Amino acid sequence: MTTPFYKYGFFGDETSLVVAFLIGIGFGFFLERAGFGSSRKLVSQFYLNDLAVFRVMFTAIVTAMLGVTYLGWIGVLDLTLVYMVPTFWVAQIVGGVLLGVGFAVGGYCPGTSPAAVVMGHLDAITYIAGIFAGVFTFALAFPLLRGLYTAGEMGTVRLPEFLHLPYGLVVFGVVLMALAGFWGAGWVEKRFGTAPEAR
Amino acid sequence: MARTLRNLTLNQRLGLAAFGLGALALFANPLPGPVVAVDAQEMALLVQREADHVTPQELAAWIVEGRADYRLVDLRSAKEFADYSIPGAQNVPLTDLAQPPFDRSEKLLLYSQDGTHSSQAWLLLRARGYRTAYTLNGGLDAWKNDVLFPTLREDASAEEKAAFQKPAELARYFGGTPRLASAAGATATELPRLTAGAAVAPPPTVGGGPAPRRKKKEGC
Repeated sequence: MTTPFYKYGFFGDETSLVVAFLIGIGFGFFLERAGFGSSRKLVSQFYLNDLAVFRVMFTAIVTAMLGVTYLGWIGVLDLTLVYMVPTFWVAQIVGGVLLGVGFAVGGYCPGTSPAAVVMGHLDAITYIAGIFAGVFTFALAFPLLRGLYTAGEMGTVRLPEFLHLPYGLVVFGVVLMALAGFWGAGWVEKRFGTAPEAR
Repeated sequence: MARTLRNLTLNQRLGLAAFGLGALALFANPLPGPVVAVDAQEMALLVQREADHVTPQELAAWIVEGRADYRLVDLRSAKEFADYSIPGAQNVPLTDLAQPPFDRSEKLLLYSQDGTHSSQAWLLLRARGYRTAYTLNGGLDAWKNDVLFPTLREDASAEEKAAFQKPAELARYFGGTPRLASAAGATATELPRLTAGAAVAPPPTVGGGPAPRRKKKEGC
């Protein structure tokens, strides 16, 4: 095992910030490349006439999942050292719904808005201002929201442990889900899309 | 077959590749299991070169200097840990080392009562890729004998007596008592009472070492 590099001490805290910056640039570049710097493109997902966001995000999930699975399998990556966000299922569902509403209303998500700001979109600048206003409001209201913040705590859980299924079966299941999703997205676009072939 | 493949769009080919990799992953178990491999020769060399341990005196000097670049791990039971522990130690039971709660880059100094368990833990951690793990030579027993209750022979020469000043001072610093060999049996060797290290003076802060590294907050 030789990765994750940071956990194995290949670089320290300072270098990790540089690495994060470079990864962020790459992330932003590919978001823009996928057309996600435009709020019209992003929001058209909610009108079911362009499901590019769904496709790109699910492709990213499947690519990353297969990558870490195989790296772990051949013994290069120690998956137990990869940081995982703990699950607070109630808090995360409430947060997810809020994020979804903000996404549909504002036209961006927290990842795509900085990419769009860099491209000079005024609506994205407004959106970022909204994010900061929300963060400050949340921080000020935290004493009231503390209960919700930790509601449904489950610790760090992986799907295979939660479902009591072999790891590989879950991986295969997610791949099948993605392929079915891609096929379904094509069908939905044909049904509801304005000009699916033009995209 | 080849013809069918040629007729597929790029997206369909990528989808097919993902399907294939996903199907192969059915046999994958990427999480490291409890079985580890040990480089026997490397281990033997490390032990022979004595690059595997730190002596109690060295550790005492680190604590006095206020060094914060290492993590001191007490492998004994929680009860034993509560009764007495070396200042700055953290209690991690041996069984927790199956999934060690440390970073690979951390300098780990392990100790147990007599050094047996810490040597075993050292081997386990080295095998799991913790390349900067060390044991406290002789464990807590050696810490007690060499640091807390150092002994001076009754017939010691003047030079030996002069040289004993330093360990004696160190013993008092950690709440112990220096002893004379003849009286050793009679002198109480009760471990200093520690309530969260209260009996021990805090390490001097004048020109002290680097501040303890705070755990980096992770996540997005």
